[in-house]
Amino acid sequence: MKTEIVVSGVGGQGVLLLAETLGTAAVLSGLDVRVSEIHGMAQRGGSVVCHIRMGEKIYSPTVMEGQADAIVALEPLEALRVIRYASEKTTVLMNTRPIAPAIVVMGAAKYPDMEVILDAIRRFTTDIIEVDAVEIAEKAGSPIAANMVMLGALASTGKLPTPKENVEKAIENLVPERYKEINIKAFQMGMEAAKKQST
Amino acid sequence: MPKPQLILRDAPGETHLLLGNEAIARGIIEAGVGVMATYPGTPSSEIADTLSAVAKDAGLYMEYSTNEIVATEVAAGAAMSGVRSAVAMKHVGLNVAADAFMTLAYTGVRAGMLVVSADDPYAFSSQNEQDNRRYALLSGVPMLEPSNPQEAKDMVLHGLELSESLELPCLMRTTTRVNHVRGPVKFGAIRKPKLEGGFLKDVQRFVMVPAHARVRHRVLLEKMRAAKDLSESSPYNRVVREGTELGIITSGAAYNYVMDAVEAMKVDAGVLKLGMTHPLPERLIGEFASQFDEVLVVEELEPYLETQTRSIAKEYAPKTKIYGKLNAELLPRLEELSTALVVQALSRLLGRETPVNFEEINQKYREATRRLPPRPPVMCPGCPHRASFYAIKKATGRKVVCTTDIGCYALGIQPPLRVGDALICMGASLGLACGISKATNSRTVAVVGDSTFFHAAIPGLINAAYNKHKITVAVLDNETTAMTGDQPHPGTGITGMGVPGKRILIEEVAKACGADYVKVVNPFNLKEATETFKEALQVDGVSVVVFRQPCRLLVVRKARKEGKKLPVAVVTDDCTNCKTCIEDFGCPAFYIKDGAILIDPLLCTGCMVCVQVCPYGAIKAERREAE
Repeated sequence: MKTEIVVSGVGGQGVLLLAETLGTAAVLSGLDVRVSEIHGMAQRGGSVVCHIRMGEKIYSPTVMEGQADAIVALEPLEALRVIRYASEKTTVLMNTRPIAPAIVVMGAAKYPDMEVILDAIRRFTTDIIEVDAVEIAEKAGSPIAANMVMLGALASTGKLPTPKENVEKAIENLVPERYKEINIKAFQMGMEAAKKQST
Repeated sequence: MPKPQLILRDAPGETHLLLGNEAIARGIIEAGVGVMATYPGTPSSEIADTLSAVAKDAGLYMEYSTNEIVATEVAAGAAMSGVRSAVAMKHVGLNVAADAFMTLAYTGVRAGMLVVSADDPYAFSSQNEQDNRRYALLSGVPMLEPSNPQEAKDMVLHGLELSESLELPCLMRTTTRVNHVRGPVKFGAIRKPKLEGGFLKDVQRFVMVPAHARVRHRVLLEKMRAAKDLSESSPYNRVVREGTELGIITSGAAYNYVMDAVEAMKVDAGVLKLGMTHPLPERLIGEFASQFDEVLVVEELEPYLETQTRSIAKEYAPKTKIYGKLNAELLPRLEELSTALVVQALSRLLGRETPVNFEEINQKYREATRRLPPRPPVMCPGCPHRASFYAIKKATGRKVVCTTDIGCYALGIQPPLRVGDALICMGASLGLACGISKATNSRTVAVVGDSTFFHAAIPGLINAAYNKHKITVAVLDNETTAMTGDQPHPGTGITGMGVPGKRILIEEVAKACGADYVKVVNPFNLKEATETFKEALQVDGVSVVVFRQPCRLLVVRKARKEGKKLPVAVVTDDCTNCKTCIEDFGCPAFYIKDGAILIDPLLCTGCMVCVQVCPYGAIKAERREAE
């Protein structure tokens, strides 16, 4: 059994930390894992994509088209940008807060309506969980923790092969001391929010 | 970056999640390397950065050298003196280091020396997709290709042993999907670094005058024969999967895709995984190939293994058909591989359907994303380069050709600034500007960063002054090597050991190189920067303007650390909606809501350049409220 996850977002949103947290949780659970990242150019406010594959034995660091168990998108457009990894078996967890790309701000392109984005995603999968991660993160103490809200939402789907305790332990291992509480709280609130939606 | 105490943990047998580059750094520590040198470059940077953070505690010497050839020479000098050394660089860095690297194969080394070349298939963050395995062929040194972080760490130790047994530097060729992949890494024991050696003089060996070089070339060829025997019996060259239907030969990251694709396609394939790929184990490859009617070679970029396998097969397995990129073009020579690409190659070769309908997915994807606005990387809010480019744009009126260079400032080509007309490699902005100026008989601007200036621009600047070229050099000095992760350089005066070295000032170097006009400006003072650049364009000869203002990411980080609040820019009621701030300046902190121009306070870093850009004085600085 393998679990394959694609995480996408905008540089600065904490895509890499989310992915590393999943990788750390996998190692804590005694699983093999690969987390694939792209550094450098991608981080200057551009699209960022990470692939995470975990299981007994993992070879490829990247997910094959249509094979993701879950897509975690920290931004709606970025959910669509990686939708080729989705199929009917995929859960798409999407932070609903848009960030306009430079080309949109300059007026040279239009940010699609949320319904248009959702319709496009539905062509691949109807299992979509929408989360206002920024609002929840603000309640947890900081909008920056939106990535942990989305991680919580992912954990609530039951698709992770790692126990929730190991994800929390991974957060504690990776986040600086003074932000630990906020991040754990954001993670738990994300779990709650997604649970409410899927029931 | 991992916590320093983790990387230095003396706990053999423990398993931790490490980035490929961190795993290589751990290998360097376990191997007791005494001297580490680098010039940063994606995807290699975290190797040296990880070591820089722990060098003092680990007891090894680490330096950020001015460029890759100097780094290679530093590491070579140490290894010639009996101290294990390592040097890391991105693939194009080895072009810079090639002069030293090629002849180093003649002199060889006394202690182990590892040269890590991080290739970048798909050019995620590079100017080309060159395949550096050919440097092993060109130079004659042994080469290892890891496929995951664990192997990368293990191969550091193996590579240094190989290097010592052959008295040759060992090349370790990685790719982005090894360097920037995290995986579990089992730690080994740490060997105490040996820092002190001694240089035993041996003129015939280490002084490469022609008479000595001819002799050493012969020695190199003898070593290559010995290396071939080592390759035949290398623990990293082995059949990892038995099968009867098809033979697959692969190496590096491609191996991972092969294993998944074979499973996905349910092929009864034998897989020969090559970890030591120079010299190749001819007998092993030949005997493996002879067991099959068809062999598929799966590798990224150039048909390096494939061409050699074809010539080996002629002797060992003349009836076996070899497939890959050359024959039937089953695999692309461009970009990076994926499981999907290998699945499709197997499908075409075996005439069997793929488990996933890729065509359908791609068609659906194209339709779903037809109007998806792109989101390329941009210069950060408050980036001093944006201000510099704005000043350059205003001063040149876009009528001047501007060559540019490698760094964050390459992003200046994007709208609305659009500064940058030619870019090829580190430091090329100056030489190109000289040639363009000569051929067009007009003043040409060269844009170059601070770290790049020290790396490769100085010979170009001297050339411009000496030959009296009409160029104006804009040095965009953000006091760090920003693009690769804020490494120090000579202009910062801080070393890889985290202690003060000697600070070298760009303006003094420029003067000493013979520039006729040298001025330093603060790009956040737009008027002064623009006027100065205009003046520089009028100079008869070579003019240099240093735009100095630290990278905003560093300023923000420092303020956060000190608990200080940076000011924030706010759009006032005087705004006429002229959009100069967005359409002419293009700071990503700006956005439009219900027709009104606004600044996102979460993104604004308070540089206040927009305040100077606004023609109506409708943007003002405000103090940020404490949270």
